[in-house]
Amino acid sequence: MSLRSIDPAQPDAAVKIAVRGISHAYRLRKPREGKREFLALDSLNFEVGDGEFVAVVGPSGCGKSTLLDILSGLATPSRGEIHIDGHAVTGPTLDRGIVLQGYALFPWRTTRQNVEFGLEAKGVPRSERRAISDRFTRLVGLTGFEDRLPHELSGGMKQRVALARALAYDPGVLLMDEPFAAVDAQTREVLQDELLRIWSETRKTVILVTHSIEEAIYLADRVVVLSANPGRVRDIVAVDLPRPRTPALRTGDRFVRLRHRIWELLQNDDAAPPSLVTEDAVAAR
Amino acid sequence: MSLAATAAGPVAPPPRAARWAEASLPWTGVAAAALLWELSARLRHSPFFPPLTAALGTVARMIRDGSLPSHVAVSAFRGLSGFAVAITLGVPAGLWLGHRAPRLHAAAEPLLRVASQVNPFALMSVFLLVFGGGEVVKVMAVGWVALWPILFCTVSGAAAVDPQLVKAARSLAASPAAVTWRVVLPAAAPAVFAGLRLATGLVFFVLVAAEMLGATRGVGWLVHSSAMNYQVAGIFAGALAVVGLGLGLQRAVRAAEDRLFPRQAADADATAVRILDLRDVRPRAALAAALVALAVAGAGWAETRRVLAHDRAVMTDPAAAPAEPSPGAGPR
Repeated sequence: MSLRSIDPAQPDAAVKIAVRGISHAYRLRKPREGKREFLALDSLNFEVGDGEFVAVVGPSGCGKSTLLDILSGLATPSRGEIHIDGHAVTGPTLDRGIVLQGYALFPWRTTRQNVEFGLEAKGVPRSERRAISDRFTRLVGLTGFEDRLPHELSGGMKQRVALARALAYDPGVLLMDEPFAAVDAQTREVLQDELLRIWSETRKTVILVTHSIEEAIYLADRVVVLSANPGRVRDIVAVDLPRPRTPALRTGDRFVRLRHRIWELLQNDDAAPPSLVTEDAVAAR
Repeated sequence: MSLAATAAGPVAPPPRAARWAEASLPWTGVAAAALLWELSARLRHSPFFPPLTAALGTVARMIRDGSLPSHVAVSAFRGLSGFAVAITLGVPAGLWLGHRAPRLHAAAEPLLRVASQVNPFALMSVFLLVFGGGEVVKVMAVGWVALWPILFCTVSGAAAVDPQLVKAARSLAASPAAVTWRVVLPAAAPAVFAGLRLATGLVFFVLVAAEMLGATRGVGWLVHSSAMNYQVAGIFAGALAVVGLGLGLQRAVRAAEDRLFPRQAADADATAVRILDLRDVRPRAALAAALVALAVAGAGWAETRRVLAHDRAVMTDPAAAPAEPSPGAGPR
């Protein structure tokens, strides 16, 4: 039987990212009730190996995006620590590349200038920047679109720019927040295969947050399943599908069983509203 | 005209007459007003209402003898300086309040609204105390009035910047200063320009009044002194110069805006938004435009220094002044 959950304390490869007891509470201010705390994440623990591809799935409101903000250093957790290569994360640095939800490209910057933004901040000289942006523009398949502004690109192309921008300063870790949520289904599958190709070429450690069970299984080595209210690690599911992954796998037996297992994990979550996983649930039946 | 276009076929370019008509259409209003001015003045023969041609004749004469260019240069210097002061203070302060210090902005906003209604002429004595007499107080009166639209528009533009863009920049390890100048400023640029456009309408409006109150040079003084001396043609010549200065500044800002925001794009909600697009901006053309603006202001500054030095010399030694000895200014 291929389904098993991996003990988070015993990852296969050398540990790249260690999430240790992360909790995060938001302070809510309501006029009548006064200050109240909302616990978004509750004692998260897991580790990610070097070069590993980990997907995080969970119902909306489980704190997926908050977790990614904490991993990137954009938010500070209420409790707990993140270690990358053994060092505690205290703020955003260029050892992590982030692809945010909804592209977040700078509308007044061309493809090239968007890709070069992090390099400018780092003070890389112009000619070197140019060489790097050319390389990553080619890697994501956007050669010929270097001088377009984001509004002149399709959704899928914008996502490629965002990916190239996150990769341009060669971070060891790539963090992605619902990267393909805003593109149509076909583009989405193409981009997933592209991402796998880029991942195998660059050997980054990837943490990808998604609400799609299929996407998580298709891309990842392991899937961290979160429950909602508050966000807790419900289970960590190893995806023992062979690589390279090909679209034919999506209809295979093992894929369907994995999907069903993760779906059940999400379904049995009492806190999750029943409507959340229907799209995948229908497919799983 | 339309008949000719139809006969020529739909693909042929419109005939020259039609193109002329199109091009001159925006000027018909001005032409009609000019014609009305000329005709009514000629019919009434009032000494207080010279025809347009007479006013233009005065303008031509004053251009030839150099007096009008001198006044225009002095006023251009004062107006542009005030505008520059307003931009230099308003844009950074607006970015800071809108982006970095929203709580401070919430606390200061009512006070700023009150301050924006403070009329520099109502408080001219205070302005004179703070800024002293001379050039500074005139520049500051202009700067004060032009500051507020620039500040308020920049604040709202900076506050409305998509937080995801700021987040993206921070994730790319941009420093807070880099986020402000490289992300918030370009994202807020359309709003900043809306403020600049509002401010351009006020600059020479205010300056003329300031020059009427206390000055010895400038177009406002020209109008005022012409009125005091029953030089009716001089009033109209000065008024025309004021119009020219105001339009010139407005045109310059509009031209810069058209270059920086050449086209509209649809945002996520499919509403048309202006997007900063620097791809068509030629660095040399931008540099040339900046140099022209600097040259105008610089020439105005040189002229201001020259004429004011001359005026001071006349004040201390009226014998040096060939005309108009002012009573009471002589040596004791």
